[in-house]
Amino acid sequence: MPLWRQPLDRDRILIRHGIVNIIDDRCKGCGFCIEFCPQNILVISNRTNTKGYHPPEVISGMNCINCGLCALLCPDFAIYIEDGGEHTPENVVPIHRHEVQG
Amino acid sequence: MSTGEMHRSERLRILNYDTPAVSDWETGLHPMDDLLRGERLPHIWCQGCGLGTALTSFISSLKWLEKNRGWDLDKVAVVSGIGCTGRIAGYVRLDSFHTTHGRAIPFATGLKIANPDLKVIVISGDGDIAGIGGNHLIHAARRNLSITVVCVNNFNYGMTGGQVGPTTPHEARAVTAQYGNYEFPFNLPYLATASGASFVARWTVLHARRLTWTLRNALTHSGFSFVEIIAPCSTAYARWNPEGKGLDPENLRRRGLEVMKHYQKVGKIDHDVHPKDAHVKVNNQGEILEIIEGEFLDETRPDFKEAINQRADLAEKYWLSEKGTLDKRKVLTSRKKRVPRKEIQLGGFGGQGIMSAGKIIGMAAAVFNNLQACFTQSYGPEARGGAAGSQVVIASSPIHHPHLTQPTSMIIMSQGAYDKYVADLAPGGVLLIDDELVTLPADHRKDIKTFGISATKIAEQAGNNRAANTAMLGFWTAVEGIVDKDAMQESIAESVPPKTIKLNLDVFEAGHKIGLTIDK
Repeated sequence: MPLWRQPLDRDRILIRHGIVNIIDDRCKGCGFCIEFCPQNILVISNRTNTKGYHPPEVISGMNCINCGLCALLCPDFAIYIEDGGEHTPENVVPIHRHEVQG
Repeated sequence: MSTGEMHRSERLRILNYDTPAVSDWETGLHPMDDLLRGERLPHIWCQGCGLGTALTSFISSLKWLEKNRGWDLDKVAVVSGIGCTGRIAGYVRLDSFHTTHGRAIPFATGLKIANPDLKVIVISGDGDIAGIGGNHLIHAARRNLSITVVCVNNFNYGMTGGQVGPTTPHEARAVTAQYGNYEFPFNLPYLATASGASFVARWTVLHARRLTWTLRNALTHSGFSFVEIIAPCSTAYARWNPEGKGLDPENLRRRGLEVMKHYQKVGKIDHDVHPKDAHVKVNNQGEILEIIEGEFLDETRPDFKEAINQRADLAEKYWLSEKGTLDKRKVLTSRKKRVPRKEIQLGGFGGQGIMSAGKIIGMAAAVFNNLQACFTQSYGPEARGGAAGSQVVIASSPIHHPHLTQPTSMIIMSQGAYDKYVADLAPGGVLLIDDELVTLPADHRKDIKTFGISATKIAEQAGNNRAANTAMLGFWTAVEGIVDKDAMQESIAESVPPKTIKLNLDVFEAGHKIGLTIDK
């Protein structure tokens, strides 16, 4: 759906972007990163690491805002964020929310 | 993994870090790995334990200080005691010190005083800092020593299986308090504040970001900074208490997470609250209802090092003025005659100047007569009126035993002292008494020489009965002759209050005169 109204400074708005790195074999599956990610981009995966835990995986990587809370909360040094630069809102894959009709 | 092999080898090269031959941990994968000892990792902490998060916050605050405040991390030392938290010292790749149980703060005190440029951080658990080491915490805080104490509080003795500790909330459950804890816990921020800490804060590990900011402030603070970190103990404490969902099998593997979610619900940030009211409120089921957190106190006060320096300057000034008077001391020609070991016992009741008489004799011998002297005292708990005795040993050669073996000379100024000491006098020894205060009994020893003067009366006639001891000293000097008269006079002049020097010297002279007339 083309947007017919746009903010005038749309070109100048920059959103921080982060690249999530997960070190699978260090994870103990405590779930802190999944629970407290402000963008809710992490979920528990079906993979099993060498310790037998399910490490998290990224579902919508473009939404990472490089806040670094997961890296700070992770007790096992198993996740960290790399700076992915900044980008304008066009590059963001929007989250579509649909109201239930009827 | 988008960083790849390149990233890792580059990081390792910068760190100049040799990866150990055998390790479960691939160093260099994580940005914080340069401050971790890879060979000791992975750490022992359970799934869902808050200690890892406390360590991450600590490392990230150190990294920030290194980057933005120019800290040299070679000048940082981490000290910890025993317990789960105590292992942090072994995991950080800084100068670290894993000490005995509860004694992390004394070791840190030594480090800081010996090397004031070092930034000393104590990280230990509640059992270590508030339990066995509670005394060290309050005394380091009292001195306002410039160290940072980080106490990770998980409300119980986690490593030993979850027993009740000094911070277990009232009515909370623990393995040794299945029906609720009947003791009352420490409020650690209040304890630290009351003891004199100048920076006090509390956070839960959930508030890792704010905890990092607080740790930065605490580490740069001049004075004693105390940070309490509330962390879940997923295995022990959470097992018994509602916020970890108890023994619900659904949650067995996620207890730490449940506690963290609970902290999100009950944490209340209030920086302005008095530490007294910074409570951890718990209901009668042991469920935490409210945790007050924040930076409660940030004061600027002179720290221990400044206080020491200030006092040292004053002491040096005082010593220089003292030294001036000491340098002006009259030099007496040193005594030629050799003195064998002489033991003198003085006895009386408190207030007669028995101690000062002993000190005057010792000083005359040691300072003005170039002899060796040793002075000991014995007295009851009363300051005045009780039994008092002092002992002086004088010899030309060094004195190897400071106590009396068998006194050869005695100055006795009360009946009680007579009863107590005279039996010890060596046969043929000299006993000097104040004959108004001491009445010789019928069975008085015949094998000793006994001489008496009315010392108190002489002193009273001179104007002050408290100079009676000086009269006895004059008498003793004349009778015994161990110490020279001029040495005694110098010693008296230096020991008594300036206003009474003349009076004392007159009384001394009177006593000495009587002594010369006595037929020995």
